[in-house]
Amino acid sequence: MIAWTGRKTVEGVAYTADILFLSYLAFKELFSPARRGRREALKGIASQILFTGVDAMPVVGVLALMLGLIVIFQAGLALPQVGGDAFLAKIVVLALVRELGPLLTAFIVVWRSGTAMCTELGNMKVGQEVDALEAMGISVVRFLVMPRLVGSVVALMCLTVYFDLVAIIGGFLVAKASLTIHFLAYVEEIGKALSVTDVLTTVVKSALFGLAIALICCHHGLAVVGATTEVPQQTARAMLNTVAACLILDIIVSVSAYVF
Amino acid sequence: MSSEAVIELDRVSASEGLLAHIEEVSLTVRRGEAVALVGSNRSGKGLALKLCAGLGEPSSGSVRVLGVDPSAASDEEMLQLRQRVGFVFAKPALISNMSVYNNVALPLRYHTTLTEEAIHRRVMAGLSECGVDVFHDHMPAGLPLGDARLAALARALVVEPDILFVDEVLFGLDADDLVRSRGLLAKYRQEKGLTVVVSINAPTALFTLMDRLVLMRDGRLVAMCPPAEAAQVDDPMVRDFFGNN
Repeated sequence: MIAWTGRKTVEGVAYTADILFLSYLAFKELFSPARRGRREALKGIASQILFTGVDAMPVVGVLALMLGLIVIFQAGLALPQVGGDAFLAKIVVLALVRELGPLLTAFIVVWRSGTAMCTELGNMKVGQEVDALEAMGISVVRFLVMPRLVGSVVALMCLTVYFDLVAIIGGFLVAKASLTIHFLAYVEEIGKALSVTDVLTTVVKSALFGLAIALICCHHGLAVVGATTEVPQQTARAMLNTVAACLILDIIVSVSAYVF
Repeated sequence: MSSEAVIELDRVSASEGLLAHIEEVSLTVRRGEAVALVGSNRSGKGLALKLCAGLGEPSSGSVRVLGVDPSAASDEEMLQLRQRVGFVFAKPALISNMSVYNNVALPLRYHTTLTEEAIHRRVMAGLSECGVDVFHDHMPAGLPLGDARLAALARALVVEPDILFVDEVLFGLDADDLVRSRGLLAKYRQEKGLTVVVSINAPTALFTLMDRLVLMRDGRLVAMCPPAEAAQVDDPMVRDFFGNN
């Protein structure tokens, strides 16, 4: 048992070090003044934002709408019974903006774009495409990892704001049918309940989730050695580790922002 | 052919797990020379080819490619070296989510500041030389293996390298493709002084293009000789290979 714990701890530390090193290389490429490959990297960033952000808007929108409806509808029904009508906006900010918005958006991006990143890079490794890039002097980090990282961060930040807006406004409009609260009063209450810390926390969380998703999925994709059967195995590992990393980061940011 | 050595392997040993190994291989290739590493599968010729191109590190011995020791070179030196060397893998290794045209344009877009118009001219000329210009807007997955390898050859040649390496040069090519490849390599050697190093696992008419054959067996260099003399080498592998028992 002790040996197992020790082995897992060492593996965990080594894994985290690998991810942090990949992160260092990606940021080094991002801020590198070299013009080489900039055009191709920018194209990669744009296509990643398009795929991860713009193409995911319908899915995120529908999920946000339904979740907003559920939270607002339940809170709107239950709060008046205990004389807590005034807390509806606070509950919405607590549940949707602070926690569910960033986390659920990140999970959608993990399932949709994270899997795509991991399988794409894994298949490129199997097809010797990564070797071919290296042979041509094309940096794998600059050409493949960094654009996915920047694209994921930007897309996730925008998607989270979009999720929050749809969940708060759309959810209320749908739930309005059975609630007696006036829309403008509701928006005003949300504005009062929403602090700068809430907004900053949401932005920081979504940026960190975007980083974690891109780095972990790229790391696992590039860890494929040579067999196609490794691709789904690495993808499954990437999904589990990314979800775990997002939850851990969420706890760290929330505790840092609201406790200390 | 000049006397300048562009590739120097000195008592090099290396391995790729159980897949391949080479032991104490020494080889010098001069500028403008055409050399074929010849041997059966698992003879170590593919690994030797990668080491010649600076794509691997030896466990012992030293490698110099165009005056650079890849195991001791800085990132910038390696980047410069990579731009002077073209490598065609046994698998075509074209980037699967890019069209054939974009694959060939990729090294130019990445390494140069050429305009799209200039890139277009060079890419289409390269694809045309390799006889695959009709596939320029196709995705690699839709191409027959031979055509995909010719597109990979066009991608390697488009940057006008000093040395061209082709792994398993016969793989996937039909008779027409072989004639085209031979003509293309001969033209680049004559007009641009290209150094060519290939690996081959069966006797072929491409031997006539080569200045030297490097015969390999079980990771060791068996003999080095002009193609015309290869059949006379006294070695069981060579006798089997050339069918003169």
